[in-house]
Amino acid sequence: MSENHAIRELERRLRAALEAVDPGEGFTPRLMARIAAEPALAARPPRAGAVAGWLTFGLAASVVLAVLIAHEWQVRRLEQGREARRQLIEALRVTDEKLNLAYRAVNSQERAASAEHSGA
Amino acid sequence: MSGDGQWTSGDLLTQALAGERAAFSALVRQHQRAVYSLALRMLSDRHAAEDLAQEVFLQLYRNLSAVSSEAHLTFWLRKVTLHRAIDRLRRAPRLESAAPAELAAAVSETQPADPLLERRLRALVGELPPAARAVVLLRYQEDLDPADIARTLGMPLNTVKSHLRRSLAQLRERLDEAADALT
Repeated sequence: MSENHAIRELERRLRAALEAVDPGEGFTPRLMARIAAEPALAARPPRAGAVAGWLTFGLAASVVLAVLIAHEWQVRRLEQGREARRQLIEALRVTDEKLNLAYRAVNSQERAASAEHSGA
Repeated sequence: MSGDGQWTSGDLLTQALAGERAAFSALVRQHQRAVYSLALRMLSDRHAAEDLAQEVFLQLYRNLSAVSSEAHLTFWLRKVTLHRAIDRLRRAPRLESAAPAELAAAVSETQPADPLLERRLRALVGELPPAARAVVLLRYQEDLDPADIARTLGMPLNTVKSHLRRSLAQLRERLDEAADALT
């Protein structure tokens, strides 16, 4: 017997030996009983359309949420900028007042010293 | 549905997808033989095979919306059955050496041409490593070509061909050994 013939014969025997067998009449009723007994399974399986609908809704909700978060972040940044600017102006104003006071004090001392000198 | 109350094959999946329990039941009847046989040849145990086949169909019921066509359904059932069987064998390797008598009893309703040889062949297939066994079953029970086997098992084509070549050589060798032992 040639090599190829032997292989073909083995393949033929394998096909015959591995012929499919039926699990018996009770298989499907047992399965359907299990499905009916489990509340989560007993409910109708979701339709493909319904799943797609929920996916679309979820995606749209995510986009809206992302836009709102970005807007809120932008508003907060503007407010923080305004507050920093206000604090800087206030600091400059206080510094200006202090410098004026010091200038006046120095001037008045100089005037008093020159009046005393001329009087003498 | 046709006039005599039977689902036609074309709309069976559509009706099952729409939630018709009777259509799903008919789908199970249509595919139970193939799913159960793959499970039986993989696990070599009738009870474990029935349990596995039931789990596969329960998973199908939960994920039916992911199935797009009859061809996809057949592909999905083969893939899930074999992957689940290989997982079980990894977790409980003792199933691998189940008694060949279980297999013989399971197919006693058939009338094979050479019952002894076919029983011996089934037992030898049951002794192949799980991945090689899955490849042999898809080739000789489901009659798939190597490319479809590779797609079903998520294996490179060359690995499938190598499994087939080595499995056939091993089966021949073991059959010859058995024949020599008898003479």
